[in-house]
This record gives sequence, structure tokens and C-alpha cells, in this order.
Amino acid sequence: MIFLKSFFSREVLIYSKKTSNVISPVIFFLICISFFPLAISNDPNELSKLAPGLIWICILLAGMLSIQTIFKEDYDDGSLDLFYVRGFSMLQVVLVKIFVNWIFTALPLILLSCSMVFLLYFPIDKLFNLIGSLFLGTLIISFFGALAGALSLGKNSILASAIMLPLSLPVLILGSSASTYSNENITFFILLLSALLFFSVPIISLACIGAIRLHYE
Amino acid sequence: MNKLLSSIKLFYHKLGSFPWFYNISSKFLPVSSALAFMILCIGIVWGIFYSPSDATQGEVYRIIYMHVPAASVAQSIYFALAIAGFVYVVWKMKMAGLFIKAMAPIGASFTLLALISGAIWGQPTWGTWWVWDARLTSTLVLLLFYLAIIGLYSSFDNKKSADQAVSILAMVGAINLPIIKKSVDWWNTLHQPSSIKVFEESTISPEMLYPLLICILAFYLLVFVFGLMAMRAEIAKREMHKDWFRKIIIKND
Repeated sequence: MIFLKSFFSREVLIYSKKTSNVISPVIFFLICISFFPLAISNDPNELSKLAPGLIWICILLAGMLSIQTIFKEDYDDGSLDLFYVRGFSMLQVVLVKIFVNWIFTALPLILLSCSMVFLLYFPIDKLFNLIGSLFLGTLIISFFGALAGALSLGKNSILASAIMLPLSLPVLILGSSASTYSNENITFFILLLSALLFFSVPIISLACIGAIRLHYE
Repeated sequence: MNKLLSSIKLFYHKLGSFPWFYNISSKFLPVSSALAFMILCIGIVWGIFYSPSDATQGEVYRIIYMHVPAASVAQSIYFALAIAGFVYVVWKMKMAGLFIKAMAPIGASFTLLALISGAIWGQPTWGTWWVWDARLTSTLVLLLFYLAIIGLYSSFDNKKSADQAVSILAMVGAINLPIIKKSVDWWNTLHQPSSIKVFEESTISPEMLYPLLICILAFYLLVFVFGLMAMRAEIAKREMHKDWFRKIIIKND
């Protein structure tokens, strides 16, 4: 418990000192979003129809960039070796790292996607659906991304994307359907997303530990 | 019962040994490749020349004798990879890691074959090469998983960690594939439902069904042969400098 607390505050401290880790996904997300009207069309009707999918794709890409390096710094400077060698619970390390990363990189994006009501003419009555599905979906994406990052530690980052993107396909489908359909169907998709979350947390964190361990064998 | 169990155990331990596998596979290989070739010829010839043409699709449907076996084999290989991944992670059996390494490219090629033959079939029947339909999309994702496994394997220098990494990915992917399939199913599907059913009566006429089943059997045998060849090549690569391997090479010369 003491370790959990101190590790949590360590992670929070790192993210609050390195603000670039927090700001760059936000910038990336905004740039990505602003390209779509330029490339496709500036017609409000068309954009509001495409908006849920576009927001989800951009969130997925921005999340992909930030989550893949989650273990990289600790691996490069050797602190991950120390956690491993000193017998700290790797489960706690993995869970805390993913959760803190989610707070600092995904939450700002979720808040920012409220502004898509103005930028992409996202229908305002479905805003709650979007936010709800984003909350669950980004957490699942974080877990898949952490697994991809752990598997490809010390390798090029394009490999991590190639592993992560097919894994996060169900989240993309369920999430964008949840924010597209009308309010009657929303509970169905939200329930499916939460099922996926509760299903993937234990399995993916175990796989993450295995993936970290293989770099020290 | 105990005797059976212990003989299975013995077989499992033998399966983990590279020299034993290399020797036994060299005996299996000629027989099974001849058998695979023969059955493939029977199935294809029967399917193309002797089975009746389809009432609605005419002669075009005959690509089914290529398409369905390839698709079925592609999925089965991924399932086998996941089982091998589990065996590797739990019991650290070297052969399981080697199996994944050898089979992943074969599975990827059969998935590609299924996609391409499906596109060729779809052109005259649906009027388009590609639709974003549930089954096509999940096959495409299957191909992506195969490619991810191949890419991940090739990024490691150390064979042991490569095997471990690939096993984890194969298992997670196998858990995720049904979820992907189900979630992709939300779009209503253009693809015709499966014609072969295990528990119900098939919707395909028996004159078409028998050559199709023969072709499926032939493709599984073909995969067996290809798998043996790829695994032998990988064993040769890994054990090049071991004594037992040199002895075999010298003996064969």
C-alpha cells in the first residue's frame, strides 16, 4: 500500500514536470481534427454526420502516440530494471502507470472533445453518449497500448502501432456506434464497452507483466 | 487409462525434442506431401470438371473450392498459434515457439489467398471487388494480426524473447478475435451465410459438398506439409552448430 502511494505520487510528479507529455497529444488531436474539414468538406451536415468517427479515430491515434512510450523512459534509464529486481509488485507498477498516463493524456482529450460541438458540428444531444463512451474506450485503449509498448520495448515505435491498432478495433466500432446511435441504443453499447473493460483489465495487465519480464530473461 | 495418459505424456516430451522431431518428420514428409498432392488433385478436378454448375451463379461459384478451404485453414492456423502460445508461456516448450515462428507466414499467406480469391469471386457475383462486410473485415483483421506477429518476431535478435513475445501476442489476439468478429457483425452482412454446418443439414447440394470437403481436407494436409517443411527449416537454422544436426548432414552426404 505504501509502495502504491509513493509510486503513484512519483508518476504524477513525472507527468507534472514533463508538461510536453501532456500537451503534445492535445496539439496532435487538434491538428488531426482540423485536417478533416480541410480534406473532406466544410459542409456542416456532412461533418456532423462524420464527427463521431473522426473524433474516435483522432483520439485513438493521439492515445496511441502517448501510451506506447509508457514504459520506455523507465526502461531506458534503468528504473524498470530496479523495480523488477527489487521484487516490487509488477502488477501495481503496470496498473499505476497506465492509470496515471490515462489521467494526464486521455482526460484532457475527452474534455477537449466537448468543443467538437462547435468545430465539427457534433450534435449536442449526443454529447453525453460521446463522453461516456470515450471514458470507457480510452481506458481500454490505454491497456492495449501499454501491452503493445511493453512488447516492443527498445524497438521502433511503428511496430507498437501495428500491434495496438488491430487490438483496439472493437473499441473503435463500439465507441463510434455508441456516439452515433440515438439514445435508446446507447446503454447496449455502453454495457458492451464496460464488459470489454472489465474483461481486458486483468488479462491485458497480466500479459503486460509477461511482456516486461521477457526483456529481463 | 493411466497407461494412455503416460504415453501421451511421453509423446509430449518427445515432441519437445528437436532431433526426434527432425528425424520423424523426415519420414512423414514424403508420404504426406504425396497424399496432399493426390487429394488436392482429386478435389480440384472433381470440383471443376464433374460437379454441377450453380443455379444462380453459374460456373463462377467454382472458386469456392479454393476460397472456402483457404479461409477455413487461415482461421484454424491462428487458433493453433494461440494454443502454441499458451503452451510456450506455461511450459516453456521450445517447439511451441518454433511452431509459431514457422506457421505465422503460412497462415498469413492463406489469409491473403482467401481475401484475393474472395475478391475475384465477389467481382462477378456482387459486382464489386471489396465490401466492408463483417466477414471480409474480420479476415482482414486476421491478416493484420498475422503480420503483427511476423513483424514482432523479426524485431528481436534473441530467439527466446522473440518466442515469448510472439506467444503473448498470439494469445491476446486469439482472445480478441471473437470480440472483433462479434463487434464487426453489427453491420448487416452481405456475405452469404456459411453453407456447411456441423450440427444442421447443409444448404449446399451433396454433389458440390463432397469435392468441397475433399478440398478442405487437402488444404489441411497441405498446411501440415508446409508446416513440417517450415519447422524443419527453422530447426536447421537454430541448431546449425549442434552435434546431432551435423551428424545428420554428414550421414546424408
